[in-house]
Amino acid sequence: MNVLSVKDLHVKINESHILHGVSFEVPTHSVTALLGRNGVGKSTTLKAIMGLYPSQGVIELNGSSIAGKLTYKIAQDGIAYVPEDREIFSSLTVKENLALATRDEKDIARQELVQALFPELTTRAAQRAGTLSGGQQQMVAIARALVNKNEIILIDEPTKGLAPKLVTEVADALGRVAGETTMLLVEQNLPLVKRIAQHVIVMDQGRVVFQGGPENLHDPEWVHTMLGVSGGHN
Amino acid sequence: MDTFLLIGITGIGLGALYFLVASGLSLIYGLMGVLNFAHGSFLTVGAFVGLWFSSQVMHVSNTWTFIGAMVLGGLAAGLFALLVERIVISRLYERHIDQALVTVGIALVVGAVLAGWFGNDLRLLPTPAWFINTVTIGSAHIPVDRFLYIGVALILLFANTALLRFSRIGLVIRAGVENRQMVAALGINVRLAFSTVFFLGGFAAGVGGVLVSAYSNGVSPLIAGSYLIYGFIVVVIGGMGSVPGSFLAAMIIGIIKQYANYYSPGLGDFVVVFLLAGVLLLRPQGLLGKVKA
Amino acid sequence: MLRWKYSRPLLAILIPLLFASPLLGNNPLSHPGLQQTMAVAFLYGALALTYDLLFGFTGLLSFGHALFFASGMYLAVLFINHDVLVWWLAVIAAVAITTILAILIGSASLRTGGITFAMVTLAFAEAGHVVISRNFGGLTNGENGIALNADKVPGIFIGVFNTKYLFWISLGTLVLVYFITWWITESSAGRVFAALRDNETRVAVLGLKPARFKLLSFVIAAGMASFIGVVMLMVSGSAAPRFASSDVTIALLLMVILGGAITRWGAVIGGIIYSVASTRLQDLSQSTALHSVPKIISGPLSEPTFILGLLFIFVVMFAPGGLSGAYYYLRLKVISKK
Repeated sequence: MNVLSVKDLHVKINESHILHGVSFEVPTHSVTALLGRNGVGKSTTLKAIMGLYPSQGVIELNGSSIAGKLTYKIAQDGIAYVPEDREIFSSLTVKENLALATRDEKDIARQELVQALFPELTTRAAQRAGTLSGGQQQMVAIARALVNKNEIILIDEPTKGLAPKLVTEVADALGRVAGETTMLLVEQNLPLVKRIAQHVIVMDQGRVVFQGGPENLHDPEWVHTMLGVSGGHN
Repeated sequence: MDTFLLIGITGIGLGALYFLVASGLSLIYGLMGVLNFAHGSFLTVGAFVGLWFSSQVMHVSNTWTFIGAMVLGGLAAGLFALLVERIVISRLYERHIDQALVTVGIALVVGAVLAGWFGNDLRLLPTPAWFINTVTIGSAHIPVDRFLYIGVALILLFANTALLRFSRIGLVIRAGVENRQMVAALGINVRLAFSTVFFLGGFAAGVGGVLVSAYSNGVSPLIAGSYLIYGFIVVVIGGMGSVPGSFLAAMIIGIIKQYANYYSPGLGDFVVVFLLAGVLLLRPQGLLGKVKA
Repeated sequence: MLRWKYSRPLLAILIPLLFASPLLGNNPLSHPGLQQTMAVAFLYGALALTYDLLFGFTGLLSFGHALFFASGMYLAVLFINHDVLVWWLAVIAAVAITTILAILIGSASLRTGGITFAMVTLAFAEAGHVVISRNFGGLTNGENGIALNADKVPGIFIGVFNTKYLFWISLGTLVLVYFITWWITESSAGRVFAALRDNETRVAVLGLKPARFKLLSFVIAAGMASFIGVVMLMVSGSAAPRFASSDVTIALLLMVILGGAITRWGAVIGGIIYSVASTRLQDLSQSTALHSVPKIISGPLSEPTFILGLLFIFVVMFAPGGLSGAYYYLRLKVISKK
């Protein structure tokens, strides 16, 4: 059973063709990693799913089409989005950031889950989000996606630009989240991907070039040809 | 010394009027990126509705009549602003230049309609008898209406701040000023916030219209002109999207303008523009504005 | 664009015909009344073109263009009336000083962009308007303006019998401004202007400094506007604060949008039509045809800005190309039918 299914997705921005017919599926209760070199269209794919870029093609959530819907309706349908660069509201407090994202205030269990996952956010509730460290900001961004019962969470490079210690923190958090929900994860950090992903999609030049299990990630030669990085060290 | 005080308080009163115009301009710009040239027509609509209420509906000019004129003027202007947003602005979503242009067109049409109906002559707005009283502070005799303007501006500032700080829609507006797309990605319909800021901005401008008419002794389709321009200047100096910034800038400008004009008539506008140029050179985001990511 | 090869024969006939018309026996343009109207219209056409260079070709929405127009006008009249300079030197000085003013204001305003730029230029222009209309420093004679002292300029610029000279000068100014604008927009700098309008980042990536080219466009447009202001001084016989008000800039915006910001000729035609129409619509407002209509309708209809404003809203919302855009749309349809 697939939560999300994308077929023949095209995106053009200012005359430049960025996605050329992207197709893939995200199975239920799994972590699917969307991999590829810089600039192959991974972030664009997530944004197009969220309705933040105009696109042509089929996007289905649990079998019903969401293509062409307004962004806020797509989010209400159950897709949460953790963007690259986090995009938390820096002038709002941590508490306000989370309150803004909360759609069902009566869902106490959810809020307790978030508090259990990120206890630090509770102690810093009154702090302005802009004054948090990069790692803490990332926690806010992920927590914002978790406060609602969603079908799927799209996460774009959560460890980008973080210090190694914070990478571990965020990775731990993601590992714990992974059990709770379906996730489509764009990530350059291969050890993290190997740890939590059950499915792998590789994109190149606006197309999907591989879709399958994560076994290949342990083959350095495959990693080098597909992703252009040396995947030797673990 | 008494002249000094008189001019200072008159300046603050004038600043209060600028604030009523600028607060809406600033929020509308901050949230939606719309440079709203129709804001002057919100002010004028409020003034005419206030005039209609106090001269046609009520036949005594007491305090309650004046309060009624302010509230009705504000509501009418707020509703008009809401219509403008729904019918015109929302159709030009994300086309910022076209939105600005279309508000120019609205300002022209509203000005023409009002001029066609009522002419461009000043019509006297009935005011309560106590308007001509003065308050004596030390040896200075200060017209009491100045305090009214300051009081109304303060009430709206606090109401505005409270709404932004403590309500759900206020939270959405503050977040939207920072990053509209992300608000939508959280499942929130930002357009409700757009309509809200237009209504609030229109309301403040409409109340401002009644007060401006009281201050300048009458209502005409032309009264908004300089207030709109000063509103823009206040928004730039205070920082786009910051209501407290608008308040601060409005007060500074009102006071400086009055003192400079006392020193030499016409100097005030000149000084204000120098101030504007200085702010742009040294702090382009304005006094309390944030640099947008 | 209306390609040069198509428009050349048209212009080669039209321009000499216009120049000759005051001398060609009895025709509408041999009467001083229409000559005067058309002289003003040509100048607004030229002014709209300079504004189009800014807005249509470089993408700068300035609300301060009237300031430079009025600055040329006022500096010239002050220099001439007070015997500071002989008339032709006064013209040069007025344009030169305005250009320097434009460099200063442009540098400050261009620190911002987009909508903020519009706001800032509006504020500067309004300050200029206030300085002029409040008689700051006792030089500008406030709301009454300053009449050009007829003794200090050559006789051909003065009087009803000489209106044809003013007609020629205005037409000549329009042609001059058109060719300068044509030359600039077709030059390599002009291509950079257009690229700036479409995609600023791309220009920066090429190693060109967007800010400098924007300033260049701003200053050139301002310089030409000041010269047109000087000619307007001759044509109208006086400098008045209304030329400095933001209403002028808004009128320019209307001209350019109604005519079509995408082309040079669209702006010129828009300017000429607007200028003539606003006088004609004024006549309509006094016409008796409106007396039978109830005031709730006839009132607004008697205000020229009512119809122009509605038209403007319509064009912005539904027909962004304006007049010239509609022309190309129709021509495209005709071509595609063949």
